[in-house]
Amino acid sequence: MISWNKNIYRSLIIISFIGVVILVLFGISQALSYLNTGADRTSMLHVAVQKERVYFPKVEWVDTINPGRPMEKQTLLEIEQDYLNAWYIRNAAYQTNKIEGVEDYYTQSARVNINTAVRHNKKEKIAIHSTTTAHNIDLDFYSADGQLVVLTDNDVKEYQRVYQGDKMLLETKLQSDYQVMLLLEDGFWRIRHMVKEKNSLQEEITKTNGLAEVIDDKIYIDGEEYQIKGINYYPQKTPWDMFGDDFDIDIIAQDFDIITTAGLNTIRIFVPYEFFGKAEVDYQKLQKLEQTLDMAAVKNLKVVVTLFDFYGDYSVLDWTLTHRHAEQIVKPFANHKAILAWDIKNEPNLDFTTRKKENVLAWLKEMVYQVKQFDSNHLVTIGWSDVESASLLKEEVDIISYHYYQDINRFADAYVLLNSKIDKPLVLQEFGLSSSRGLWSPFGPSEKEQAAYYKKFQQLIKQENIHYLSWTLYDFDKVPSSVVGKLPWRKHKQKHFGFIDHKGNKKPAFEFISKE
Amino acid sequence: MTMYKKHIALLLLTSAICILSIGFTTIINRSEKVSAVLLTNQTVFNAGDAIVLEFELEKPVTTKLFLHSSYGSTVITPNKQKDTQYSIPNFMTNKSGVIKYILSHKSAIVYEGELQINPNINTKVHLESYIGPPSIIAGGEDYTMQVVIPTDIYDNPLPEETPIQIGHQFLNTEKENILYTKDMMGWKNIFSYDQSGRILLFSVVGETVSKEFSVEVFPALPENFEITSDRRHKYADGNQITELVTSIIKDEYDNVVSDGTIVDFEIIDAKGAVLQTQGSTINGTAVAKILHPDHKDIWRIKAYVYGMAESNTIKLEYTPVLDDFEVVFDKGNREIKVGPLVSFMEQLIPNGALVKLDIFIDDKKIDTKVKTSLDGVVRFILEEGFYVSGEYDIKIKALGIKKEYNNITLQ
Repeated sequence: MISWNKNIYRSLIIISFIGVVILVLFGISQALSYLNTGADRTSMLHVAVQKERVYFPKVEWVDTINPGRPMEKQTLLEIEQDYLNAWYIRNAAYQTNKIEGVEDYYTQSARVNINTAVRHNKKEKIAIHSTTTAHNIDLDFYSADGQLVVLTDNDVKEYQRVYQGDKMLLETKLQSDYQVMLLLEDGFWRIRHMVKEKNSLQEEITKTNGLAEVIDDKIYIDGEEYQIKGINYYPQKTPWDMFGDDFDIDIIAQDFDIITTAGLNTIRIFVPYEFFGKAEVDYQKLQKLEQTLDMAAVKNLKVVVTLFDFYGDYSVLDWTLTHRHAEQIVKPFANHKAILAWDIKNEPNLDFTTRKKENVLAWLKEMVYQVKQFDSNHLVTIGWSDVESASLLKEEVDIISYHYYQDINRFADAYVLLNSKIDKPLVLQEFGLSSSRGLWSPFGPSEKEQAAYYKKFQQLIKQENIHYLSWTLYDFDKVPSSVVGKLPWRKHKQKHFGFIDHKGNKKPAFEFISKE
Repeated sequence: MTMYKKHIALLLLTSAICILSIGFTTIINRSEKVSAVLLTNQTVFNAGDAIVLEFELEKPVTTKLFLHSSYGSTVITPNKQKDTQYSIPNFMTNKSGVIKYILSHKSAIVYEGELQINPNINTKVHLESYIGPPSIIAGGEDYTMQVVIPTDIYDNPLPEETPIQIGHQFLNTEKENILYTKDMMGWKNIFSYDQSGRILLFSVVGETVSKEFSVEVFPALPENFEITSDRRHKYADGNQITELVTSIIKDEYDNVVSDGTIVDFEIIDAKGAVLQTQGSTINGTAVAKILHPDHKDIWRIKAYVYGMAESNTIKLEYTPVLDDFEVVFDKGNREIKVGPLVSFMEQLIPNGALVKLDIFIDDKKIDTKVKTSLDGVVRFILEEGFYVSGEYDIKIKALGIKKEYNNITLQ
């Protein structure tokens, strides 16, 4: 017994000794590796400054002809990059009242000006959220030794929102001209002088060929009045992931046939922001979108394309990234026959509480303006989640879209009220009832009740001649958590909104998909 | 009952107050459109001027003034003395350019306008000069650029068309010019002259004189040149040094090329092998050195400044340093003594002369031994363990002289 104890003690001592040695060795190695980090050559020479672009305003070089020296392509890119970074850093400095990074993009004499202004704003608790959305740069001068440039930046579109404490004081949209001198200092093009000049304000006139247009409260396509009879569409197997790896244009073509034979003429589809590549849109996904639109054109369907699905930042500094996203998606399809409207965002009013109403509205307003610049041929709308929000930004959009999932009996009144306030076309962009009766919802509506709901809704639609898109064609097997959260009963509900069930059979409601 | 009455009265009163207050706020909200007039007439200022904007408001409300200028924006509150008077802060009034101002009341724009601030030409001028490239090549084709940025004391670039006097001095030449600023600066290209040397540059705006700047004018590309050789004797002793010397290398304008210009000498020997040596110029001449060959040879030598200039070709002949040498076989032919190696001056060849011994069996080379001379003698020892007894052919080569001994029997 005693020898057993002895052995146990021995082994304990040996194990603890080994443990201590391991700890000491680990400590020494950590200390050594810590001492080896830090200033390596690349960081000293600024050759590998992190280069993920975070600022994407629209930049046009008017020309680079100058009396000093011919401009090299590579240098031009570097100047553009550093000049835009200077703007971004400046915007960030005025927003946070911290001057981090300013010394990288402004020379010692120039940065004083920003520092004093930021100090003043900090003292007065003023924060200015700003961004620039367009630059038109004209090179005035490039010195023979390649160390100095002067450029004029015309019609810089600046958006600014001013806060004092938590209170918003003012929102402005300015257009200014700047003349800027930059010097090449340790690898950075830094701003030396910056002078704001008189801007001769010129609003660009956008030409439209009017593929779709709105006159009074009616929608016209190719000069003919258009009544939207539509449905929100996702393929049954890939809801909320229409353009992913399982994209199959044949299935989409079959679905389009089902939709058209059911008497519908319009679909609404969704383009997720992050999935499409944010500011640098994935070409392959764009091609899938194009295939879908082409197929819609073949099947004689009009499409409402909802942009920025699952986007939720809205901060002013993030604007330019979303603008480039919109540009890359909207511009290529400016002349596409299948598109009826660009829906800027699905139910943005649900973000009012978390992202602040003024943030969301300002972003939407600017985005409507941007999208109209990229494509003046199609309509622009915003898919509000309820009737109450529908009159927001009504001046900016072409058609007013709202969703209705409340009590069907109150719809008629709500519609009449809205119609009296707004003189633009109203589109009931989403409505529907989930036939969710089952384990998770024992008292939910049955398929018959769903059919009755649609029957009644179609009567109302006919009565008031309402543009509509119902939610949705299919019951889904799986619903991503990002849509309605993780709770199984919520997911369950979202799975049963369709006119066609899991097995591909038409539910009773299908009879009322386009008529009473 | 009275208790109830009291309660009801209270309830009515509070609801009445509520309704009234709501009513009033809506009235106030509606009547919030305030208009204002700017009383200040001046809209153009010089940098550094104190700027006070005074407004006349339709009704007394609190306002704030948003300002946006070259380097950013801010918001200011009215002066303490008068709440319709705004003093623009220094950091904005000191910078030239346009200041946009917006008078606002509860997020609504009451009045907006612009001020122009011009650079202050009455202050002392600061000059910033950039000159580059700092070295150029003679001949009048290459140039350096002088850029002058005059600013006022608030670091604002002076207005367009500000005259700048610039000048430079080179040897006996002095030149002056007047430039006018455009795009914040004035600039001029200074072309090189035919001579090499140093250009000194300066500029003057108003009372302010810049620092003195200098630009080095280097000679242009070298022209072709001549080479000569210099050696103590013509013998191939593998010991003496031959010096190769260039003429003074000049550019087309007769400027001596910069010190340190590298000249490469290429030597092709009688067998076509290429030897190389290098020198760099001092005062236009480059000197390169090379060891004499250790055998009779003929060298053709040509020098290059690569990519720019080349020399003539010279021919050097080296004659053998000795005619013959003695070879003694000893210890059963296993010790072979070569030498004494005696030069043309009857002296022992300096230590280190190469002697090569090739060993053959039946015309097949089995080994080569190389040794250097010591006191004019080289000893080769063919060990028994390596070379079994038998007949060997032996060839010896030293300083270009070859000797053959066939059928030597090793014991």
